[in-house]
Amino acid sequence: MRSPFAYKPKRGPLQDASPGAAVAYLGAIVVVAFLYLNPLVLLAAGAAATLAGVLAGARTAVRAALKMGLSLALLIALVNALVTSRGETVIARLGDWPLFGRVDVTLEAIVAGVSYGLLAAATIVAFAVYSACVDPDRVLRALRPFAGRSALTATLVSRLVPVAAADAGRLRDAAALRGPAAAPVGKAPLARRLLAGSLDRAVDVAATLELRGYSLDAPRARNRRNRSRYDRRFYAVATLILATAIAGKILGADDFQAYPTIAIGLSPATLAVAAVVTLSGLAPFRRALKRRPLQASRGPELRRV
Amino acid sequence: MSELAIRRGAAPALAVRGLDYTYPRASKPALVDVSLEIAPGEFVLLAGRSASGKSTLLKAACGLVPHFHGGEIEGEVRVAELDALEAGPGELAAAVGYLAQDPETQVVSTTVAAEIELPLEMRGDASGDRARAVEEVALALAIPHLLDRAVDTLSGGELQRVALAAALVTRPRLILLDEPTSQLDPVAGDELIWLLRRLNEEWGVAVLLAEHRLERCLAAADRVVAMEGGGIGFDGAPGDFLSWSHGNDPALTTPAARLFSLAGLDPLPVGVRDARQTLRGTGIAPPPHIASRRVPDPRSSDPVLETKNLWVELDRGEEMRDVLRGIDLEVRPGERIALMGRNGAGKSTLLQTAAGLHEPVAGKLSVDSIALLTQNPSDYLVRERVGDELPEDEGVAALRAVGLEHAVDADPRDLSGGERQRLALAIALAGRMEGEQLPAVVALDEPTRGMDRARKDDLVALIRGLAGGSVAFVDSEATKATRPAAVVVATHDVEFASAFAERVVLLGEGVVIADGPMEEILSGGWYFATEVARVLDVPGVVTPEQGAAVLRGELE
Repeated sequence: MRSPFAYKPKRGPLQDASPGAAVAYLGAIVVVAFLYLNPLVLLAAGAAATLAGVLAGARTAVRAALKMGLSLALLIALVNALVTSRGETVIARLGDWPLFGRVDVTLEAIVAGVSYGLLAAATIVAFAVYSACVDPDRVLRALRPFAGRSALTATLVSRLVPVAAADAGRLRDAAALRGPAAAPVGKAPLARRLLAGSLDRAVDVAATLELRGYSLDAPRARNRRNRSRYDRRFYAVATLILATAIAGKILGADDFQAYPTIAIGLSPATLAVAAVVTLSGLAPFRRALKRRPLQASRGPELRRV
Repeated sequence: MSELAIRRGAAPALAVRGLDYTYPRASKPALVDVSLEIAPGEFVLLAGRSASGKSTLLKAACGLVPHFHGGEIEGEVRVAELDALEAGPGELAAAVGYLAQDPETQVVSTTVAAEIELPLEMRGDASGDRARAVEEVALALAIPHLLDRAVDTLSGGELQRVALAAALVTRPRLILLDEPTSQLDPVAGDELIWLLRRLNEEWGVAVLLAEHRLERCLAAADRVVAMEGGGIGFDGAPGDFLSWSHGNDPALTTPAARLFSLAGLDPLPVGVRDARQTLRGTGIAPPPHIASRRVPDPRSSDPVLETKNLWVELDRGEEMRDVLRGIDLEVRPGERIALMGRNGAGKSTLLQTAAGLHEPVAGKLSVDSIALLTQNPSDYLVRERVGDELPEDEGVAALRAVGLEHAVDADPRDLSGGERQRLALAIALAGRMEGEQLPAVVALDEPTRGMDRARKDDLVALIRGLAGGSVAFVDSEATKATRPAAVVVATHDVEFASAFAERVVLLGEGVVIADGPMEEILSGGWYFATEVARVLDVPGVVTPEQGAAVLRGELE
């Protein structure tokens, strides 16, 4: 089964952009999520990443990331509500719990947890969009001149991961097909077998890399797809996001306080930052091609004689 | 020698002289005094039993031996005038391409285009040259539609072509292939061989192809080199090779050659066309039809495996797909069934569903008890002692059923390939036998991958033993079991199917497209037909023995 986050070759602004431009754009959204605690801005960052993914055609990845991110957000909110007793608005008194001690669930702890959860969810969605839309081969190619060995290791690992996953699936099937009187396969022998198999596979993949000339010191050729016409757009949007976020931070747009009582700032600066970040999700938008209607040719007019 | 001279073919594509090689920590050499020369544009078939040194010779020719594997080497290997013992595999890549058996580990990029382009990029070729080379090799291999696909969405056959394209994109003078068709169905396998022949003729690339299924590629070869115990046992024309193998190693002869030999005809044919021409020349005309062999009455006993309108849906790549679409099948005790069809037809899925690995989405499935051995027997072996895999009396009974009771204290890694396969089968059988009685169904999924004919013959004996209710196996005393098992084997190997099966079920795109006696199914087509059936074109005649009887006029 293919991972929903796996890269899918498609044509589109985000996919065509150079890895640097795509990383700058999606990275800027993640930076905003880490800079701000205000749930409105975090929601905006999550919305931007979601919008970008949908417009780039990575719906499957976005759906899976949202499922994963929102589940994690819920879990963080729940755990924070149980382990933090700060806050004045007590919703429930759950008495004494082993390990936790006295548990009072407060509205403030829940909202603070939701804020951390939104940060995690926005980051997960942004990474999912990156994973589904940015060609790892181009990233590694861009890395190679600066960090050849790291690029080689990354190439090896990126190929081994799906191979090892397939091997693990096969081993699981074989374990399920063992007769009931055969010795059961414990996790340790299975892991050992998988590791041994992975080492063999790594040797095969390394041999292939060797045969493809990975160890050659030949001059690296320029890549024809290093730049795209969309690069400027993504660099510009990334700059706009970061500039707005920093300016907003200076102007107090990150006005959020969970304890002792909730205070969410909704100043014009906060609203402006949220609006800019949300709209940045439109960057991968591409206009649909319009066919020009054929105009009737104006041939030489017939003259009546 | 200048680059131009090499391109024009003045130097041999491969020259090996007095080559001895021993792998690290190996007790005996893998190659012994090997001398061989391949001319530019020659198509050479490398034959030989398992472990005879074929793969090692190919690895030496592309520099993996000794540069990647280490070990002790003596002698000389030159590829297009490059010293392969001095230059590494990367430097040799411009002159030689290499394609191994398993396509999964031969791709290192995410997309097909990037994979094919990688060797050129590593060499520092300009962007325009790379684009053109990728386009040309994709056109030559008929894969331009795959260029934008992710490699993990490709089938085995497609992946093999992509790996071949990456090996050919540098326009090497020599291409080395190590059993490239072992995982392909007969259609994809034949396509690959004739694609190689076309590249050989049009591009002038020399081919050194190691294969076990010689009947598939002998006719395409200019010359055959047979390996024996690490050395070269024979080097000559395909026709002469058949005469040599007939006397020295009958396991290497092709079915058509065995047919002629049994019928007392000469010369032995290198392929179907050759055989037909010889037959026409001798004036022997096989009868248009012979009476079909009687097959066991399918209604004589209750089915042990039964499916009715069975539908199975699986996630294949990017979307859910109906892999089985309304399969109706009845399997009775003691039947030996070959389950055949193209890659992705649903053979493995059917066996896995019967064994409980997948849930049908619709239809009915009933099976008494089933033991399934999947494609890689090594997946079943997780311990370092055979007895630890199969403890208790039931485990020992399973070992007895496959003739391995003597190996209780052995390390599975020390067993031969065939013994490991039987051990894995014993692991699947353990606890599914009632005393000495076999389970109702024993299923094997692609058990002959990478096997030479001698090992296939052992497997045929094992299958016949299981279906006959007893296992009389090499180097082991017969084990009696009172209940015969139905044996269902998913296989691409038509000749192997003709050796063991009495019934063939042919699947296509998840549906049963043919189901009948083996002789009828394997003589009624072109791809899923034995070489003898293709030579004689007589319905019901598929094996060399049957064919020889027809030619001698014994069957009417």
